[in-house]
Amino acid sequence: MVDISNSAVGYRAPSGRFDEAIAPDGSIRPVWASVGAAFGSLHPGELREHQRQADRLLDAEGAGHLVHELAAPDSADDASIADSRPWRLDPVPLVIGHDEFAVLSHGVAQRARLVEALLGDLYGDGTLVRSGVVPASVLFSAPSLRTTMAHHTPARWVVHYSVDLVRTADGAWRVVQDLTDAPSGAGYALLNRSVMARVMPEAMRQAGVAPITTYTDALRRALAAQSPPGRRSPRTVVLTGGPTHPTYVEHSYLAMQMGFHLAEGSDLVVRKNRVWLRALDGVEPVDVIYRRLEDARLDPLDSRTMGGAGVPAITWAAQAGGVVLANAFGSRLVEEPALASCFDDAARSLLGETLELQRWDGTEALGTTPCHAGTNDDVLVPGRVVLRLHAAIGPDGVTLMDGGVGRVLALDDHPTEPTTRMVKDVWVVGGPAAQRVPVRVSHPQVDFGSSVPKRAADALYWMGRAAERAEVGARTVRVVAGQLQQDASLVSVGGGGWALGAIGLLRAAQMLPMSIGDGDGNTSLTDRVHHEVVTGQVAVAEQIRSLVDEATSVRQYLSTTTGRVLGRLTRLRADLVRADAAPDDLDIVLVDLAALAGLAMESTVRGPAWRFLDLARRLERALAVLGSIEAAAGRAVEPLAFQPLAETLLSVNESLVAYRRRYRSDVELGAVIELLVHDDANPRSLAFQLDRLREHMASLAWQQGSDLVQQASLGALGAVDDVVAGGRRISVDSLVLAARGPLLELGNAVVQRWFADPVNPMVLGSAIGSTFGEPR
Amino acid sequence: MIESSPVVRFSIQHRTEYRYGLPMSDGYTVAHLLPRDTAHQRVVSAHVEVEPVADEYEEHIDLFGNRVVRIGIHHRHDALTVVGHCVVDVDVVPDDGGLPVSSPAWEDVAAAVAGARGDLAAEVAPFAAVTEATPALPALDHLVGDLFWPGRPILDVVAAVSSRIYGEFVFDAEFSDVSTPIAAVIAARRGVCQDFAHLMLACLRSRGLAARYVSGYIETFPAPGEVKLTGTDASHAWCSVWSPGIGWLDADPTNDQVPPRRHITVGWGRDYADVPPVRGVVIGPSSWQTLDVGVDVAAV
Repeated sequence: MVDISNSAVGYRAPSGRFDEAIAPDGSIRPVWASVGAAFGSLHPGELREHQRQADRLLDAEGAGHLVHELAAPDSADDASIADSRPWRLDPVPLVIGHDEFAVLSHGVAQRARLVEALLGDLYGDGTLVRSGVVPASVLFSAPSLRTTMAHHTPARWVVHYSVDLVRTADGAWRVVQDLTDAPSGAGYALLNRSVMARVMPEAMRQAGVAPITTYTDALRRALAAQSPPGRRSPRTVVLTGGPTHPTYVEHSYLAMQMGFHLAEGSDLVVRKNRVWLRALDGVEPVDVIYRRLEDARLDPLDSRTMGGAGVPAITWAAQAGGVVLANAFGSRLVEEPALASCFDDAARSLLGETLELQRWDGTEALGTTPCHAGTNDDVLVPGRVVLRLHAAIGPDGVTLMDGGVGRVLALDDHPTEPTTRMVKDVWVVGGPAAQRVPVRVSHPQVDFGSSVPKRAADALYWMGRAAERAEVGARTVRVVAGQLQQDASLVSVGGGGWALGAIGLLRAAQMLPMSIGDGDGNTSLTDRVHHEVVTGQVAVAEQIRSLVDEATSVRQYLSTTTGRVLGRLTRLRADLVRADAAPDDLDIVLVDLAALAGLAMESTVRGPAWRFLDLARRLERALAVLGSIEAAAGRAVEPLAFQPLAETLLSVNESLVAYRRRYRSDVELGAVIELLVHDDANPRSLAFQLDRLREHMASLAWQQGSDLVQQASLGALGAVDDVVAGGRRISVDSLVLAARGPLLELGNAVVQRWFADPVNPMVLGSAIGSTFGEPR
Repeated sequence: MIESSPVVRFSIQHRTEYRYGLPMSDGYTVAHLLPRDTAHQRVVSAHVEVEPVADEYEEHIDLFGNRVVRIGIHHRHDALTVVGHCVVDVDVVPDDGGLPVSSPAWEDVAAAVAGARGDLAAEVAPFAAVTEATPALPALDHLVGDLFWPGRPILDVVAAVSSRIYGEFVFDAEFSDVSTPIAAVIAARRGVCQDFAHLMLACLRSRGLAARYVSGYIETFPAPGEVKLTGTDASHAWCSVWSPGIGWLDADPTNDQVPPRRHITVGWGRDYADVPPVRGVVIGPSSWQTLDVGVDVAAV
């Protein structure tokens, strides 16, 4: 057995206050003794290592950090990135014994039943108002009262109930607040647990920590059970406020865990009291909505809500029974502080029971639990914690998550608003060995593999284009900068022919016009090339931002590893905007972008989501190949400059090695064009991209798209004779033009055909007139 | 109910017209345009007309007994017109009042509101609520505190508050909109009917009294010698105060009158947000939108 009060860790519980680990007589409490044994020695160094691992894993989980780091705009400052870390996980958990947790659970389940009964009565029979337990003036002053829900009795008001609890100095658990309006934390608990399970798997096994993953099954079952009667294969979606919502990370995580689509407000539309998902090809019905969007933002038609991210008329559909909202619209009412004092009487009157868990009075001192002091000081210190527990309420009754999140409080924190952003995993220990019962959802969830929200396909498409453009930009800058590094005299080769071609390539990679003249005489060619390298690098950073932006809103279609790569790219991006970034930085970016492309090919289910991602990449790469050919080969240059320029062109298209292997000769224009345009075995060639596009168009059964791809193929067929006029190779120019036109048109057509019809709700001006006073 | 009241029949048309720069795919409207029967009025006929043809149209009665219309349009449309038509018979309060001569002290009324149980609690106490539009502000005491002396009959108090607002505030259609808080109205001493109604409700509720926000119409007259133009009438708003034994009695601080004179009630709630005449949301591309509202009230 390990003494956590030993000198190495130095934990001293304050005397006279309840402590989770140390009993008043100085002995270690039994539950902590068992965990302590599992922890091992608890050396300071070990704790620090646990902390480091937990930080790294949470970071790598990516999900959260994508969102939060985006909020730190253009900052290369490491501190601000660390600052944007949404939370840190204390490697020391909050430990609760099984027997005590059972008592706590009983009290929580009772409150879950009470809030259900309260909502039913306040919106329905009104016995509490009639008897004076809840004064009507108080009820009707409550901002969260939704009068449209009066006498609309949903089958269940609350499917997901959460509660914040504190332990007082005399050891009693007290309620800080009841949460019913899209309570957050369940997803974070799962995320934290997945990290802890990797940081100290052995300790968790030895300590016999109760699993919490069964909670998602319970929640999924509870949600499915809510489906309106008579629906076959009911469909549930998770409704989020989108990537700017403060708890988007867990919306995305929960959706992934439960296998539901994550829908933003604009993905849903209400027609005739049914809710429809805007899928790629038309709309599909939705039966149950697990809403993570707060009551006040749910339906812009409700005159006491703020509108915005919500879905117009979604509450009409719910009131008509066409869709089930979990939790029901209006369920926030029981969170009203003004109603808190009525809970005891309400429990007696509605349940005929006495409340097991009392409310914290706001002044009682709190007990403590061991917390990792942080990286500066590797000891355990006593800290105060607010514990959030979650319950899913379904046909089987109330199912508690056997764990949760403990949030550490700073000295002056009120338990409703912890400021430390340090959280603890919550371990329930000492229970019977976990039995893994295979759980089946009573109704099978419709497979969404073949359908994807239109917005998600849209985002994946732009993500694909941005990814490819970033890759082209990064490679072009890397190639040109690398060649110059090796041989600065290249700039003057062939009367500056190479340099002008390189500038053209750099500008083409940034989608900038080519016609840059031959310089103004004041700026040296070296400076101009250097200038384009720097702006090219910044442009890559910009593309990465677009890429990550789009990816954030479709996180659930991307693998976990993809999330990690995106997290790395976000951090690398900060380096690229610095003018002194080394070419090595670009190498790392290229590796990550290649990883991203590989993951898209190898780790993404080949449904419509993947199709739009890949289609976009192919289209962008086809355009990039043409752009680079136009920039480097369209211009007639001195023979001396042609050789290095053609090598640059091939390198930019990652085809130099292939060229050398095939031709084993000096670079020759016809062969270059053959390899980059016509060779359908070269994965970087135009022909290869067109083949993939042709397949995508066939899968989409989209005639207009197929026709445009065909036109591009025909345009690219032309032979390339070396006809020079006005400094241009006419044949190269005409080939590029003939192939590019249809491809640009294809880009427009994709957007028109698949993503047009923007769907932003507008709240119209309400019409109240005013009167002119009657003539006196 | 006053037996000698003359009955006036009003015909009302309330037109709300939206136009959009680009066609919208879906449009939703909630309308409180169908009047309800009250102690002073009987609805002869009422209906709502929608252009283009609505894909869904539903009517129901809300928590406060008002008639609510929900309209959904799910095809492309670049304009939406919602017209409420109604004919209502109103027992107009005669000029010499016809009001009860005696009424309980205002504190007793407040005590009756606080002590209400059963059906009375459900009917009356919701209108003692302090809402966002009718907050309990210290400024209210400065404004009307001197009018609430102990034992003063409730009807005297109501009349005095109405007169105070009427006397001290300037009607100014340019000053406020639906979201102007009464704190700003008090500071500027100007506003429109809706502001004065909210202000009066806040004054009364801060004393524990129950008072409704009443939404409706008022017939207006052209200046002498001028012809009345169509569409120049308007939605109107006033209050209704409860007292035991008397029930609900209206008060219009904008005109310092006891309705109904030329008032037609549509519905009531705690404040404007419970009974906005027309509230809509459209889904579609970003574009400009225009709103045009016209109300015609005619005695027939």
